[in-house]
Amino acid sequence: MEMHFIFSDKVVLLFDFWSVHSPAGMALSVLVVLLLAVLYESLKFGKAKLLHQALVSMPTFTSQQLIEETDQDSSSSESLPVSSTRTRTRLRWFSYHFGQSLIHVAQVVIGYFMMLAVMSYNTWIFLGVVLGSAVGYYLAYPLLSLV
Amino acid sequence: MDHSHHMGMNHMDHNSTMAPHHHPTTSASHSHGGGAGHMMMMMHMTFYFGFKNVELLFSGLVINTAGEMAGAFVGVFLLAMFYEGLKIARESLLRKSQVSIRYNSMPVPGPNGTILMETHKTVGQQMLSFPHLLQTVLHIIQVVISYFLMLIFMTYNGYLCIAVAAGAGMGYFLFSWKKAVVVDITEHCH
Repeated sequence: MEMHFIFSDKVVLLFDFWSVHSPAGMALSVLVVLLLAVLYESLKFGKAKLLHQALVSMPTFTSQQLIEETDQDSSSSESLPVSSTRTRTRLRWFSYHFGQSLIHVAQVVIGYFMMLAVMSYNTWIFLGVVLGSAVGYYLAYPLLSLV
Repeated sequence: MDHSHHMGMNHMDHNSTMAPHHHPTTSASHSHGGGAGHMMMMMHMTFYFGFKNVELLFSGLVINTAGEMAGAFVGVFLLAMFYEGLKIARESLLRKSQVSIRYNSMPVPGPNGTILMETHKTVGQQMLSFPHLLQTVLHIIQVVISYFLMLIFMTYNGYLCIAVAAGAGMGYFLFSWKKAVVVDITEHCH
């Protein structure tokens, strides 16, 4: 394996079946890698948006807990519905956090894939990754401030 | 896989006249069996599933059996989980140890000729304080572990890569859960 950047139309990226021989194939591969980098940047936005949705949809989570814990001798008629809503919000929070973890795994995997693509030392692929990161950041960052 | 590996090595020794110059990119594909004659390939460049003759980070650490691969899977999984936990522990440590909050009040002219007091708040850490030194040590550990995880992923072994991804996901799930709940209750402004 050469340890310096080269311009070439032939490369094998990540998987055995992804072998590129022609300029057209290389252009397509660069496009795929670019979209992968855009996806990586947008995953950060996705995670923030999911967290925002979770916090917005259950604003009573913390106050409910505090009321539950301070109000020890509440009337028995009220304790049942309160505890059921509490378990429901806990379940929703659990599913939101599970979704966040899945997004985190996707982010880790795509980040490593991008690192391995750059490791091929093909200059076109490298430029595709860099450009994709730039485009992804450019598109995602203003959206982050809206969240 | 290990046969072609060793064959390549032998060719390296015998053909001294042939310069050990590697074909740029075409040899990157994983060639099986006898075809790997003149192309020298030190490491995989595509994903593969296997547990024979897998070198892991250090020269003495070679995986040869399924049992060793299972052990390596668990070890890498725990390492990735520890990395995620370390990241979140550092964040919470930083928040807790931020001392020396300085308030600077300055008079500024307001509307109608009145004078308002504008207050600036600066939060920081002292350089030689114990929390900052602890943060530095943890940072070094974090950098080393992150490079180790990168190198493990670079082996292109499917089992180990899955262990890294799953460990990261599980670590994030377990440690960030606690962080999210704590942030929810104690912080009012998001």
